[in-house]
Order: sequence, then structure tokens, then C-alpha cells
Amino acid sequence: MTGIQLVLLTGVAFISLYFIIRLKKKLLDLVLLLALIVAALIFIIWPDLTTALAQKLGVGRGADLVFYLSILIFWFVVLKLYARIRQLEKSFTQIIREDAIKKASTPSVNQSADNE
Amino acid sequence: MPELIHTPPHNKIVVIIPAYNEGAVLLSVIKDMHPTGFTIIVVDDGSDITLDQMLKTYPVFYVRHRANLGQGAALQTGFDFAKKLNPDIIITMDADGQHHSSSVSSMIEPLLTNEVDIVLGSRFLSSGETSVPIMKKLVLHTARIINYIFSGLLLSDAHNGLRAFNAIALKKITITENRMAHASEILFEIKKHKLRFKEVPVTISYTAYSKRKGQSIWDSFRILFDLILHKLFK
Repeated sequence: MTGIQLVLLTGVAFISLYFIIRLKKKLLDLVLLLALIVAALIFIIWPDLTTALAQKLGVGRGADLVFYLSILIFWFVVLKLYARIRQLEKSFTQIIREDAIKKASTPSVNQSADNE
Repeated sequence: MPELIHTPPHNKIVVIIPAYNEGAVLLSVIKDMHPTGFTIIVVDDGSDITLDQMLKTYPVFYVRHRANLGQGAALQTGFDFAKKLNPDIIITMDADGQHHSSSVSSMIEPLLTNEVDIVLGSRFLSSGETSVPIMKKLVLHTARIINYIFSGLLLSDAHNGLRAFNAIALKKITITENRMAHASEILFEIKKHKLRFKEVPVTISYTAYSKRKGQSIWDSFRILFDLILHKLFK
């Protein structure tokens, strides 16, 4: 197994772990974001570092390493967005449901006179 | 068996029909169900044209979502509304004319005798199985296996909209999956709350209309995706 495989696998493992336990705490988000920013800064300032690191991991070019890592980050972001969408959908559903029940029309002429 | 429908005068039975952009076929479903004397709730899932004008002369409760949310959401709204009526039995059925009042008496019987809490209709237990289109059959069998993997319950049918619940099941089951994954979610809920359930053979009519309104292969991928997200974010 080459180094890049290890990196990608660990990345996937972490993403899954994160979502399975569904951490709601903002602290972790912040730490992750900071780590990303720092990594981005370092690689931007010393681009040769990516090549050096990439060669250590068996990728070859630094740009390729960044590309692979970006895929992982992209996945992570997509999953987070889905989590957010589902949350929004839940609130939306609740509002529409309450409104629907409040405005329900009862049968005008019928046998079940259970109108409250 | 049909006389069973009229036997329990003290039992209050409510029928929930989720409907989205339905017309004449919904009216025929209501006309078919009306002689049973059950209370009918139509949940309009944000149809483009409101159904209230059309349903005005019919003895039904009408609940309307202001936006389209999906069948799962419509069912849960129906459940929440039905709770206000304190029913003993709740039946859900599709609005596209696939289900018939003739199936209903065998659906509610196991609830009246307190044999189970939930009765699920199955098109594959009845003798008329051959009438299920081949592609539909394939998709449904795949879906049952997926349901089994996710819920641990192996049923003979998947995604059959004809179901009957007693008051205990009504109280315990909550559908959060707005779209079609609700059918699997009901199984999760059955498992979670240790509810007693049973499948009963029902006949499904496949008309050109119901086929058009029905699920496509792509919808099943969507369902699978929703299920994975459901498990992931639960």
C-alpha cells in the first residue's frame, strides 16, 4: 500500500466517523477549518513542500496530492450540506404541517361530527 | 367477510389518503371508500390546483400542505390530524386507485382481534401476483432485500401504500422521511418500538394512470440515497 492510499483511507474513515457520531459541537468544525487554512497557507507559501510530501507518499507531483486531498474535502462538504438540508427540511415540514392541520376543513355534512 | 366492515360501531376507523395532483381518480377512491362509513382524511400534498373545490361536496376532512413535501410527510400530517379524532384504527391508502375498499376488511381484522398493531398490505401474497409488471416486480424484490438489510425485517412486499394501524401504532410511529423512504422508515419504527405486525394479501390494480403516477427506477435510487442519509444522520 502506498502512502496516498493510507492518507485517502484515513480521510474517508475520519469523514465517516465524524458523521456517524454526528458531532454537533462547533468547536470541532472550527479546528478543522483552521487546520485546512493553515495547510493551505503552508502549501501556497512553500509549494515545493507539496511535491516533497507527495513524493514521500508515493504520488509524484504535489499538484496531484492537493487534487486528491481536495476530493476528500469536497466529499466532507457535500455531506455537511446534506445534513444541513435535512435539518432545514425538517423545520420546513413542521411549519407546513402545523399550518395544514390548523387550516384543515371538516366535512360539511357528514356522519362523524367530531369537529373540535 | 365484507360484513365485518359494519360490525364495530364503537370502533372509529379513519382512512388517510395522501394526494398530489389527483383528480377524478381520487374521487373514485373516495366514492369506493365512502360506503364503509369510515372517516376519510385527504391530505393534499401541495397540489398545483387545490383540491378543496373538487372535494367540497364529499364528506371528507381536507388537509393541505402549502408546499409539496412528499408522500411520507403527507402521511405523517394525516397521522397528526387523525390523532385529534381519537381513532381506533387508521388505514392509509394511495390516491391513484391502486387500492380498493374490498381489501380493507381483511386489513383491519387482525387489528380488531388485537392480533397485531400494524397490518401491511402485500401484493405478493395474493394469488393475483402475476398481474404485477415484471419490471415493478424486480424493483420491489430488490427493495425488500434492501429493507431487510436496513431494518432486519424481511417482508414479501416493499412500498405498498395500503397499511392499517391501531391506536398504539399511531401513537408510536413517527415518519420523518418526507419522500418515499418512509416505507422503509415505518419498518424501522416497527422494529424500534417492538410493534406486532402482519402482512395481508391485497390486490393492486395497475392502470395506465397508476403506472404513470407510480415510481420509476430512478426513484428507487433516490430512496436508497435517502435511506443511507437517514441512517447516517439519525
